[in-house]
Amino acid sequence: MPGHTVRRLGFAVLQAMVVLVATFAVTALLPGDAASVVLGEQATDEQVATVRQRLGLDQPLLDRFGNWFSGLVTGDLGRSLVTGAPVTDEIARRCAATAVLAGVTLLVLVPLALGIGVTCGLREGSRIDRALNAVTLFLHSIPEFVLGLLLVAGFAVYTGLLPATAAGTDFTARPAALVLPVIVLVGRQLCDVARQLRIGIAERTRGPVAEHLRLLGLPERTVVLRHLLPAAAAPAVQQLARAVEGLLTGTVIVESLFAITGLGTGFVEAVQNRDIPQVQGYVLVFAGVVVLGNLVADLVAHRLTPRRELVTW
Amino acid sequence: MTRHPLTRRRLLTLAALAPLAACGTAPSDTGRLRVAFAAGGSKESLDPSQVSLFVDQARAKALFDTLVAYNADTSLRPRLAESWESDASGTRWRIRLRRAAFHDGRPVTADDVLHSFRRIADPALASSSRQYFAKVDFARSKAVSPTELALTLTAPDFEFPSGWGAPGAEIVPAGTTDFTAPIGSGPFRFVSFTPGGPAVFRKNESYWDGAPGIDELEFVPVNDETARVNALLSGQVDYAHDLAAGTAARLTGDARVSLLEAKGTTMQGLILRLTQPPFTDARLLRAVLSGVDREALNRVALAGRGEIGNDLFGKGLRGYAAGIPQRRRDGELARALVREAGAEGLAFALETSDVDPGFATAATLISQQLKEIGLDVTPNTRASSTYFGEIKTKGVAALTRTATLPVATFLDQRFRTGGSNNVNGFASPEFDALLDRAAATADESARLALFGDAQRIVHDSGGLLAWGFSTWTIAVSKRVSGLVTAPPNTFDWARFDRARLS
Repeated sequence: MPGHTVRRLGFAVLQAMVVLVATFAVTALLPGDAASVVLGEQATDEQVATVRQRLGLDQPLLDRFGNWFSGLVTGDLGRSLVTGAPVTDEIARRCAATAVLAGVTLLVLVPLALGIGVTCGLREGSRIDRALNAVTLFLHSIPEFVLGLLLVAGFAVYTGLLPATAAGTDFTARPAALVLPVIVLVGRQLCDVARQLRIGIAERTRGPVAEHLRLLGLPERTVVLRHLLPAAAAPAVQQLARAVEGLLTGTVIVESLFAITGLGTGFVEAVQNRDIPQVQGYVLVFAGVVVLGNLVADLVAHRLTPRRELVTW
Repeated sequence: MTRHPLTRRRLLTLAALAPLAACGTAPSDTGRLRVAFAAGGSKESLDPSQVSLFVDQARAKALFDTLVAYNADTSLRPRLAESWESDASGTRWRIRLRRAAFHDGRPVTADDVLHSFRRIADPALASSSRQYFAKVDFARSKAVSPTELALTLTAPDFEFPSGWGAPGAEIVPAGTTDFTAPIGSGPFRFVSFTPGGPAVFRKNESYWDGAPGIDELEFVPVNDETARVNALLSGQVDYAHDLAAGTAARLTGDARVSLLEAKGTTMQGLILRLTQPPFTDARLLRAVLSGVDREALNRVALAGRGEIGNDLFGKGLRGYAAGIPQRRRDGELARALVREAGAEGLAFALETSDVDPGFATAATLISQQLKEIGLDVTPNTRASSTYFGEIKTKGVAALTRTATLPVATFLDQRFRTGGSNNVNGFASPEFDALLDRAAATADESARLALFGDAQRIVHDSGGLLAWGFSTWTIAVSKRVSGLVTAPPNTFDWARFDRARLS
């Protein structure tokens, strides 16, 4: 297991490096640069040239990447081209909102997916199975911004039950502002995770292991929860890690729809500003979350279905 | 089978869900007006010399004052300046200040004004208002007394006072370099601000122009237009700035909101670069001017809520040449000109972006209209955040828009040889001489007549096709009164000190 973990980690670091180099290059290739963005519409050429020099944008791309990378090795992510503040400041400021959003989403998603997955898996083909499947599939296939707008129209604009946006408030002050964004994010990811569970349970409940356990006289509850679910949950856990990736992209849309000052909107802003160090900072965070999520999922899945259990019977 | 009951069970023991306390919408605070604007993110500051976005201007207006302010047609009204006069040459100006105080109680003096203007004129600051003060010779300008200053210009300019009312020309206390918690003389005091986040200001009880009618003002950043409208309709904010024409149509007659629609405030135009083929050929320039159907553009791209343009900036503003006959579409003439120039089937791109909600439709329509006269035009969409920087050097035809500013300023920036925003590359010694003569003409009506002559020249050959003027739409909740319809960049726009909440 330790060997497995180290290999996985090494690979993850390599992945993150490739992503960082690619992001740097792509952002640098975008038309316009931070100087022209900062100065806006009325800037004269001389002003742009002055600012470019000040920001070091007139240096060759390779040098700039080298400087940025040597900073990274010493744990310095550099400073924003636009604000001059350390890149980490901006990320720290925006972290909380996204962490709360994603955290609450996961807290809702996991038990809900479990409930739906197990229910449908045990009653494969029944009316409830078909109904739940239809609902989750519908939620999955409707784009986030469409679902968001429908919910806002129904629950905020016409009935006033819930806040339409998080504008001018934060989640600690008004938890109600979380409800609609979380529904949108959960709705998108629910289907995949629940389906993985459903298939796993459905297959195993008909399988020889379940037969055998039932013959031993174990109650059905124990059979399902103790013996079938852990094995069936392994692929679902890995699906959950992919759901975390989906959440990252989902937050970009959801944050702009609900006016949330988070990492998603920050990332978009940094790209629009051609603020390369800031973009790199976000990419590091995102890559870190994805890598970590997958790593944890792999380890958990490994734990749920140790490959050795069949050998060391 | 070895089991790991403990670990597995632990893995499957689910954390109890913390129930979400859904407390509905918060009680409304009658003393606090919440206004929603698109914001500039982390690069925002409260330095009034850096007002690239409308939200920056609105915040500057709340915290600071200018010497003069623009009426709706960009004529001037006095603010901190009580009166001003120039000598016969238009190079020496005297400004007398009214009695006003900064938020910390210090009086606003001539030194503060000089310091502010010096800052704005400093190239290192790269202020958007720098051009208005480029002619000031600071070495020869001075404070005559605490309430009077004398400014000397390097060249005559009888339009100089217009610059004092421009967004970004706000007066800050002498010596101010740090704007994290700024002190101004405006109707509101600073309370808190996060760049890209909310700003909270409190009313200035001792404001020289009367205390504001609300206790607190909060700026809420909402970049997405749909989200701004939703926040307004659900009562989270009371003011939503900058709505699309389609939204305005939808909200007309909605009992929850009133619309403030400033008609024809933003020029919508097409820049034709005169320094590069095909528009080095005057026949093709004339062909495009005759080939575009301005009525159709207004009907479709501005949802019929705008006004037709006559290829000139500033319809309805002071100094606009209203006497020039409206240019109409003449497809036959346009086709004949294209044929004459041997340019049938000539292909070029029309630069556009989603900077403005009407751009995409306008680009498609103009392309179709020009196809009808024999030109093969394709829209090319560019990134919005760098669009205006890019079209300065790239492409031969580009959509543009310009909000309200003095006509004289626009002519100077856009058409003077080497002007700061002369994207079309227009160069005419005759035109430049007219502008210089106008600037040196003391009599206002004679001066405006000269600006009219200058507009006649660019109407035909300036390389700007101003096809329409879009309406600027703001929606406010029914709780709000006291706000009036006014174009952005003018004084009565975003005057939150005049707002009342019921």
